[in-house]
Amino acid sequence: MSRRLPARSRVPSSRWAVTIAAALGIIGFVGAAQWNSSLGRQEFITSAQRVLVSEAQQEQRQQEQLRAEIEAAEIRIREFQEAATGSQAARDRLNEALIAARLKTGLVGISGPGMVLEIADSERQVPVGESATNYIVLVDDLRDIVTALWAAGAEGITISGGLTEGPPPERLVATSSIYGAGAAILVNAVPLSPPFRIEAVGPEGLHDRFHGRPSFIGRVAQRIEAYGLQFASEARDEVTLPAFIGNTRMRWGAPVPVND
Amino acid sequence: MGARVAQVSLFAVALIIGVLLVGQLRSQARPLELSSLSAQELSALIETLAARNVELRDGLADLRDQIGDYERAGVQGQSDLVISEEVLRGISGFGGLVAVQGQGIRMEAEGSFDPVAVNDLIQELRNAGAEAIAVDEIRITGRSVAVLGTSAIEIDGVPIGPSFEVSAIGSPDGLQAAIERPGGILQLFEQSIDARFTLTQVAQLRLPATERDLTPTAARAVE
Repeated sequence: MSRRLPARSRVPSSRWAVTIAAALGIIGFVGAAQWNSSLGRQEFITSAQRVLVSEAQQEQRQQEQLRAEIEAAEIRIREFQEAATGSQAARDRLNEALIAARLKTGLVGISGPGMVLEIADSERQVPVGESATNYIVLVDDLRDIVTALWAAGAEGITISGGLTEGPPPERLVATSSIYGAGAAILVNAVPLSPPFRIEAVGPEGLHDRFHGRPSFIGRVAQRIEAYGLQFASEARDEVTLPAFIGNTRMRWGAPVPVND
Repeated sequence: MGARVAQVSLFAVALIIGVLLVGQLRSQARPLELSSLSAQELSALIETLAARNVELRDGLADLRDQIGDYERAGVQGQSDLVISEEVLRGISGFGGLVAVQGQGIRMEAEGSFDPVAVNDLIQELRNAGAEAIAVDEIRITGRSVAVLGTSAIEIDGVPIGPSFEVSAIGSPDGLQAAIERPGGILQLFEQSIDARFTLTQVAQLRLPATERDLTPTAARAVE
């Protein structure tokens, strides 16, 4: 004789079926989305790109090596200059001129009052149908911030990127470019990633003047507000910036001779 | 017993959903690793890095030559002040403190430029390898930016007109190719702000020194 289940227990059983079906549906959807964007999937798709990745890494390592060698060579040259022969007065005059020129052109580390700011991608969920690029820090944001800082009277600026163990801060000089190559932002041709930290030395009130500059208010401040880009800034009594490390030699030109 | 199994199953399902959702949210963040860049982006990055490394190698060779000069001067008992004067001239040329001359391009620009467009043009030239830049007779230094002045765009406090001239010292072919490339900055400005450009390669450009005093008032040198 078959035993019939009580009517009460059949109702929860169908509820469970619906719940589990819904849960499995969500797992399926999320799993598929995860698979499509996962590193494993990307590596599978981009296996042909490994050569390019390896080449880019090799170029980055070479760049680090070259910069270290340039830094060492510059220290050696400064030692020669300080110990130069000739008349003491002429040597002192020349060394003072060299120090002043390096100070004016970003080739020596500086310290003084200033400000620090950090900007990073938004943590907000990108709404359906909206461009994800609105929610990340763009090269234009960094350029606008730098423009606002110079216009506010900054006397030296560095940009660094990444949370830890990133490349050292890049000092901005006459030949510095801030450039976007796909998702990467390059400063002095060094690829940096968010969060970006910008430090500046400048006369008292730099922080307030920066926040009032049209270059900042016009676009970046609006994007911070609209898309939730993470941003923080503060004035500092003392900021220390490293010197620019890189090529200062002109290949296609030269200073005009003094008597020209 | 059945209820216990159902509870465990539900917990397992919730856990899996949680893990997958976290993974999904993380994967929506900006790709930071090189492996996540497209082949095209990687190629552009490699090109930029390689060009930069060539510049760095040249710069390093120049510094080693200077060290060699100092060492020889010491051995031969000559004054090395002459070498230091040459180094000073090089630094001053690099930073815009003295006039420079050399090969490059000259560009006449006309259109509805705003300060952002002028700054973008300067950035593009720097990225293309310009070693020195001037807008009209204003030498661009590290601190020079275009801003909106009282009645016109100004750079270092000097107004520029609706039409202006940009000169850049660097590889003439390299500079021209970079800024005239399809989808590049000139094309963008021609379409977006109705700008017009006349670009010529010049064998001997002369750019003035900056007239701005770059002596810092707040910053002091540290070693």
